[in-house]
Amino acid sequence: MGKQAGSDDRFSRIRQRRVGMLLLLLDLLIVSVMLCVFIGYAGMSVSDPLIVQIIGAIRLPRVLLAGLVGAGLACAGMAMQAVFRNSMADPFIIGVSSGAAVGAAAIGMIGAGIGIGGILLSFTQPMFAFLGAIITVFAVYKLGTAKGKVHVDTLLLSGVAVAAFLGAMTSFMIFVANKQYDILAHWLLGSLQATNWIEVGITAFPVIIGILIIFYYGRDLNVLLLGEEAAHNLGGNPESLKKTMLAVAAIMTSVAVAFTGIIGFVGLMIPHMMRLVVGPDHRMLAPASVLGGASFLIWADALSRSVMMVPVGVVTALLGGPFFLFLLRRKKLRGDGE
Amino acid sequence: MKLEIKDLALSFDGKKILKDISLSVEEGEFLSLMGPNGSGKTTLLRCIMNYLTPEHGAVLVDMKSVHTMPDRELAQLFAVVPQTSQMDFEFTAYEMVMMGRTPHSRSRFSGLSKRDDEAVAEVMRCTNTWKFADREFSGLSGGERQRVIIARALAQEPKILLLDEPTVFLDITGQLEIMDLLRELNKGGLTIIAVMHDINLASRYCSKIALIHEGRIESHGKPEEVFTPENIVRIYDVDVIVRKDPLTNSVSVIPRNTSSISPMHGTRVHILCGGGSGGHLASDLIDAGYAPSAGVINVLDSDFELAKDLHVPVVTEIPFAQVSDDAYSQNQKMIRESEAVVVADFPVGPGNLRNLEAAMLALEWGKAVFVMNGDSIGDRDFVGGKAGKIVGDLIRKGAVTVNEKRELIALIGKKLGR
Repeated sequence: MGKQAGSDDRFSRIRQRRVGMLLLLLDLLIVSVMLCVFIGYAGMSVSDPLIVQIIGAIRLPRVLLAGLVGAGLACAGMAMQAVFRNSMADPFIIGVSSGAAVGAAAIGMIGAGIGIGGILLSFTQPMFAFLGAIITVFAVYKLGTAKGKVHVDTLLLSGVAVAAFLGAMTSFMIFVANKQYDILAHWLLGSLQATNWIEVGITAFPVIIGILIIFYYGRDLNVLLLGEEAAHNLGGNPESLKKTMLAVAAIMTSVAVAFTGIIGFVGLMIPHMMRLVVGPDHRMLAPASVLGGASFLIWADALSRSVMMVPVGVVTALLGGPFFLFLLRRKKLRGDGE
Repeated sequence: MKLEIKDLALSFDGKKILKDISLSVEEGEFLSLMGPNGSGKTTLLRCIMNYLTPEHGAVLVDMKSVHTMPDRELAQLFAVVPQTSQMDFEFTAYEMVMMGRTPHSRSRFSGLSKRDDEAVAEVMRCTNTWKFADREFSGLSGGERQRVIIARALAQEPKILLLDEPTVFLDITGQLEIMDLLRELNKGGLTIIAVMHDINLASRYCSKIALIHEGRIESHGKPEEVFTPENIVRIYDVDVIVRKDPLTNSVSVIPRNTSSISPMHGTRVHILCGGGSGGHLASDLIDAGYAPSAGVINVLDSDFELAKDLHVPVVTEIPFAQVSDDAYSQNQKMIRESEAVVVADFPVGPGNLRNLEAAMLALEWGKAVFVMNGDSIGDRDFVGGKAGKIVGDLIRKGAVTVNEKRELIALIGKKLGR
């Protein structure tokens, strides 16, 4: 078979264009960080001497945490979509959010009982949320595994069932501990208020490591989508890849939600949007999701603290709900067209 | 290159799926693994590709065990086409095929080489998928998708291609497209092992068949050696007639009607037929419990072939000859032994006019006589009206005309009290 019509440059041109899009996303992120530190309800002019202090102590950590959480959720969401071979999966699907909520609500209830509040609560709540998330994910994982093999369908259903059960528990505990409801409500809606550098530091480490691990397995995630037999045949180990991805995504999202609460739809939406921009290849999609997720949450938070005056989780859900429906419709229409 | 499977055994949950399977596959063979659902053929395929590890026994390629082979070497030896290839993500056909190059890149971060681009273009041209290389995989038709998956497998540059029911979700166009492609690849020297269900497709395209039943190889050889009525009834529990496919001369299997078999009562019914008019009547009468006989039929007539396959007693005449006195009297003997006689709607010429005359005798002997499609005799009369006259006489003297097979069976039953 000779080289009729050349080996075709069009595919390498597409690859080049996608690399260009990645660079553009990087620029967007840098610009976002720089602009958003100046957005806030303090409404000061740049010449105000207090501004440096406010930006350094309040705005910059808040913007950075938003960036880290956005990047982590988007990247973990992308990994979950690959593991479940389903573009409607998100990082909370294995019980992270419901488990974290139970943890957060539990400490709220206990706190109300023994009189923990204020500073102490703002410190213990993330810890309990993290523990709740990790324990739940582990339980869901156990339910979805048989003889060392991960069955993604069972895993998905286990996640849904456990989430429903824990949701009821959370509601009950909120009902009992109505004194602390304010703090808990903020957390449940997802909020980046009152962020400090310690939180940024604690979040940065696992999220960045997790992102790097997912980058490393980009090509293996592509091959995983071909099905387990084919992935195995191409030299991968689908079973250990699935486990690694589940563990990494679980830890990343658990850390991400511990301080900020449940910020929905980022992990679902961003990988989707990025697929439209750089295509489905995970070696491109992972960095794009990280950059896009960070920029998105930075802007959503800026919007939440300036214009809309609501927790950031409300902003992402308000944007994410309709977007999800749009995707569903688009998929349905495409499906029918076949 | 030679693939050898030695004493392979595997169980799941204490149930033995494969029981000491031994099989060897030569280079350039196109082998189909066949057998009923749950017989272990997909499991065997998965052992060959080292996706499953057997409890004992080995799969050897040129005396090297696949179970200890490095992943990359294995991926360049076997390429796998799984049963289903769904894709929820928007990969183009080109990107799908490019994934087949994975075992050829040195590290996971090394970029695509010119060799990769060329290899993908080449396999996409030879699978006829190049023209839609930039279209989205999930938007392609079933046959196109399967060809892309085969192209992806070929991009691995394997020595052996393993396929799990490659045609199962395709329409007939897609099935032939895929099988034609596989045959071309096989002619080019590629060894192919495919799990298949369609016996006729397999016998048409494959050089060897291994028939698997309850974890054992029951029969292995060329299609005509394996697909015998005895093997098929033993393994699939279905009565079949085995014929040569008139187009390709390959073995072709026709399943017998199994849905409506009545208890056998053995009432004798004689069928006067020829030219394909009576074989199917004999088959239906057998299903209704009768013991039909037929005559006079020329050897090699399609009615003769079918009667033989159905083990129906038949009075024969040498090919293209007139009904001789000898055959005529044998035919009369069979009519005497029967309780009813069916005159099938065969074309009547000078050679077989005596079959109609035999029906007149049957009436005289008081047998119940049924005439199939008596009205159409004008179109089948090649003896200048003689046949039409006899049929007219038959009906006048009490023969019953019937237009439909089902009606025939019902009327015979009524008349004979069955």
